[in-house]
Amino acid sequence: MLVTGIKSKPVYAPLQADARGRYHLMLGFGVGAGPLERVIAEMQSSASQGLRNVRVLYVPDLGSAPEGERFRALSDVQAFADTPALLVQFRLILEQSLMGTRLYVAGPESFIGLAMKIALEFNLNKDEIRAEECGTLARRVYCIHCRATTEQVRTNIVRCVGCDRWLLVRDHYSRRLAAYMGVMVDAEAPGELPPLKEVFL
Amino acid sequence: MNAALFKPDETFRGDFSFRNSPQAIRRFPLPFPEDNYMYSVNIEPHLPGPAGSVTEFAFDVDEHYVAECREREIVLAEEPLRYQALPHMMSSQWDCLELIMESLARDYPAHFSLTKQGNRWRWINRPLELDQQFIFGDPASLPREPLDYITRQAQGDFVVMDQREGDLWAEAGMVTTQADWSLDFDVGMTFKEWHGPVPLAHEMQVFDRALKFLLNLRLGQPVRRLNWTMTIHPRLDTSPENYPKWGRDRAMVTPQNAGDLVHLRVELQGLWRLPRSNAIVFGIRCYLISLRELATVPKWARRVHRVLRDLHPALIDYKGLTRYREAAVAWLEPFDDGAPTSPGTAPE
Amino acid sequence: MSDSQTIAVEVVGIEQVTPLIKHFRLAPLGAAALPVFSGGSHIIVVMQGADRVHKNPYSLLSSPQALDTYEIGVRRMEESRGGSHFMHDRVVVGSRLEIAHPVNLFPLDKIARKHVLIAGGIGITPVLAQLEDLHGGSVPYELHYSVRSPEHAAFLQRLRGSEGARLNMYYDSEGQLIPFEPLLGSQPLGTHVYVCGPAGMINHVIATAQASGWPDSHIHWEQFSAPPVGDAFEVFLARTKISVHVPPDQSLLESIEAAGVEVPYLCRGGVCGFCQTRVLELDGDLVHNDHFLSEADKAKGKNIMPCVSRARCKRLVLDL
Repeated sequence: MLVTGIKSKPVYAPLQADARGRYHLMLGFGVGAGPLERVIAEMQSSASQGLRNVRVLYVPDLGSAPEGERFRALSDVQAFADTPALLVQFRLILEQSLMGTRLYVAGPESFIGLAMKIALEFNLNKDEIRAEECGTLARRVYCIHCRATTEQVRTNIVRCVGCDRWLLVRDHYSRRLAAYMGVMVDAEAPGELPPLKEVFL
Repeated sequence: MNAALFKPDETFRGDFSFRNSPQAIRRFPLPFPEDNYMYSVNIEPHLPGPAGSVTEFAFDVDEHYVAECREREIVLAEEPLRYQALPHMMSSQWDCLELIMESLARDYPAHFSLTKQGNRWRWINRPLELDQQFIFGDPASLPREPLDYITRQAQGDFVVMDQREGDLWAEAGMVTTQADWSLDFDVGMTFKEWHGPVPLAHEMQVFDRALKFLLNLRLGQPVRRLNWTMTIHPRLDTSPENYPKWGRDRAMVTPQNAGDLVHLRVELQGLWRLPRSNAIVFGIRCYLISLRELATVPKWARRVHRVLRDLHPALIDYKGLTRYREAAVAWLEPFDDGAPTSPGTAPE
Repeated sequence: MSDSQTIAVEVVGIEQVTPLIKHFRLAPLGAAALPVFSGGSHIIVVMQGADRVHKNPYSLLSSPQALDTYEIGVRRMEESRGGSHFMHDRVVVGSRLEIAHPVNLFPLDKIARKHVLIAGGIGITPVLAQLEDLHGGSVPYELHYSVRSPEHAAFLQRLRGSEGARLNMYYDSEGQLIPFEPLLGSQPLGTHVYVCGPAGMINHVIATAQASGWPDSHIHWEQFSAPPVGDAFEVFLARTKISVHVPPDQSLLESIEAAGVEVPYLCRGGVCGFCQTRVLELDGDLVHNDHFLSEADKAKGKNIMPCVSRARCKRLVLDL
C-alpha cells in the first residue's frame, strides 16, 4: 500500500509547440498562463504556417493575478470565470474540431485531468495532447470504498468527504476518473495513522 | 469431475467453511519450482496438462465450483460495479461467452452442454441448474449481458483487453475474486498503467516484454502463467473496495493459528486471443490452500517455508505480507529439516 | 509461433472477377468449422509447388459471419516469384491447400468516431471483410476505391449494393484521382484512416495524413508486397549449424524454411517484427526491406527480418 514510484502516475513535460499540428487548442488555469505564453511566442516566431491557427481558453486564478491579467489581454484568449465553464466551451469546440488538432493544457494536475477526461471522449490520444503541470500539486482523490471524490488534497492522508474514513493517497492514477486512488489507511490496525504531512503543495 | 464432489455450501466469508479435499490438495498449482522466488515473464503455452491437473482443460472446474459461483452472486448483489464493460466491447463479450461455453461443454460433458442451430444456441449448466436458449449475437435474448451472464458461471476473474494503438486496454471484466486491485478504478487503463503499482518488475522490463508478446498472441494458441500472494482465511473477495472488512484479519495471525488462517493464494492466469473482436481475454483463476493443508505435503512445507523466509522486502510489502509473514514462517519452521527439495512443483 | 497448426482446405469455387484477379472460395476438409475472424485478417496459404513451397498471405474478404467458406482474392503479379501464378494457373476446383489460422494486423479501431477506408486495386480485399464488421453499427464510415478502369473494379456490384452513397469510385482510365488532401483535411476528431493498395498509394496517404496533422496512431495500412528479389547469397545458421543458399527469387525466410528450420512469423511482409533474427556475424551489407526496424537499428546491423530482407555479403551468420 505504501509503494511509491508507480508507473501509472502521469508524467508531464514542459510544453512545446507541435509543428505537425494544423490547429492548436490551448487550455490554461492560473499560472498555466506562463507555459502557454511561451508556446504562443514560439509559434508566432516560427515560419511554419501550421502554427498560426491558435485558440486559447483560460481561467485566471486570483493567486496569479499579474501574469493572468497580461495573458488575458492577448487577443484570441477567451477567459472564463471557473473551470466548469471553460470545460463546457472546450467540449463544444471539440465537437467542431478536425483531425490535425493539437491540445495543450497547462495548470494544476486536477485541471489537466478534467480536460483530459473530455478529450478522451473525442478519441484524442497522447500523440495529440501535451500537458504541463504547474501551480498546486493538490490531488483529486477517489475513495475506493464509497466512491466519493475528495478535491484539493494536499496531504498524504485525508478524511474522505463521503464515508469519513482516513484514506492513504496513493500514486495510482485513473485517467477515466481523473483522480488518484484513496484506500483506508488504518484497516489493518484501526486508529493507527501515519503522521499527517503536506506533500502535494 | 464427479458431481457428487461439489461442495455447494462452502463459504468464503463469515464462518469460512472452505476446505480442500486430499485430491484438491494434491492437484494444487504450487507456484514455486525452487526454494526462492523472483518475478519472471513465466509465460508458457496453455496446452493440456496431465489428466486430473488444473491445466488439463482450458478452464478448470473443481469441487469448489458451485460454492464459488454462489460467492460471486453475493459480491455482485452488494457491488454491481465489480462487473464493467465499456460500450465498444460488445463483440468481445460474445467472443468470451463462446469461448467459455464451448470449452466447458467440451471438457465437462457431464455438467455442461451446448447445442447450436445456426445462431440459436441452447446452454445447459447442470450444477447450477440452468437451461438457457438464446440467440448468439442478440443481447436481448439473454437475461444479462453476455460477459456478465457467462462469468457468473465460471470460476475466477476475467478481464477483457482491447488491442489498439500498439497497446492493450482493460475495458471489460468481471472481478470478484481479486487479490487487491479494483476493476472500477483500473477500467480504461493500458497494460503498463494497471500494472503500475507492481514494484521492481518495471525496472526488470517484465512488462515491456510481456506486452510485446501479448500483442502478437495468436488465435488458437493461448498461454498461461502462475502468480501468487497470501490471504488470511479462505477469503476470495480481497478487493480494495472491501479492504476495511478484511484488512484487520492480517493483524490477527499468530505463530499458533497461522497454519489455519494463512492461505497461499495462487492465480492460474490464462490469455486467449478472441476472434471477432481481436481482443484478449485474461482469465484469473484463484486457488486457495491453508498452510496446514500445504504442510501435508512434506516437500511443499519445506519449500514454502524457505520462499517466505527469504522473500525480497519489496515483494513482502507489495504482496501485503508484512504483518504476518514472520508468524507464517514460524508456523512452517518445524516442517523444514533443511533437507534438499527436488526441483519442480510435484508433490512428494 | 509458426504455422504448425494449419487447417486443410479444399477449393470449392473459383471466379475470374477482373482480368487480373481471381476469387477463391475455400471450404474446410473434415468436420471442423473454419475459425471465426475479425475484418482485416489474413491467412497464410501454403502451396506445394513442383520445386518449392510457397507461403503467401492473402486477406480474407468473406464475411466474418458466414464461416462455411473463406474467400480470398489473388491478383496475378507480373513479376511473380511463383505464388500468384501458382494460384492462378495450378489451382482448380478440388485442389487442396493448407492455411494458417487468421491473424489480424489491420484491425478497425473500436473507439474511432469515424472510419475512412481507402483501397487501391487488390487492396479492396481486407476492406470487404472490414465493411461486414461495420454494417449494422452506428459509427459513420466512407469508402474510397481506386482502380485502373471499370473492368478492374473487383466486387463492384457487391459494394454498390451494400454501401450505396458511402462508396466513392475512382477510375485511373478516366483521370479520377482520390483527393487525399481535401479528404484527410476535413475529417472530425477521432477519425481513423485505413489504406490498402500499392506501395505508392500507401506512402501518399501516410504522407498526406501526416502533413494534415494526423497522429500515426490514427493511420492504418496493410501492404501486400512480395519479398524483393536480389543477388544470391549464403547464410550460416549458428545454432542449427547448417549453411543455407538463398537464391535470387526466394526470400531468406523461405530458404531457411526450405532447409527445414522453422522461424516464427506472422505477416511475412516485413511489418510485424515477429521474425526478427539476431545477426551474429556479417562481412558485407544487410539489405533491409522491412518497415519494422528503426533506421538506427538497421544501421547497427544486429538484427534482420528474414521475410523480406537480404544481404550482399561474403559471410552472414544468424542466431538460428
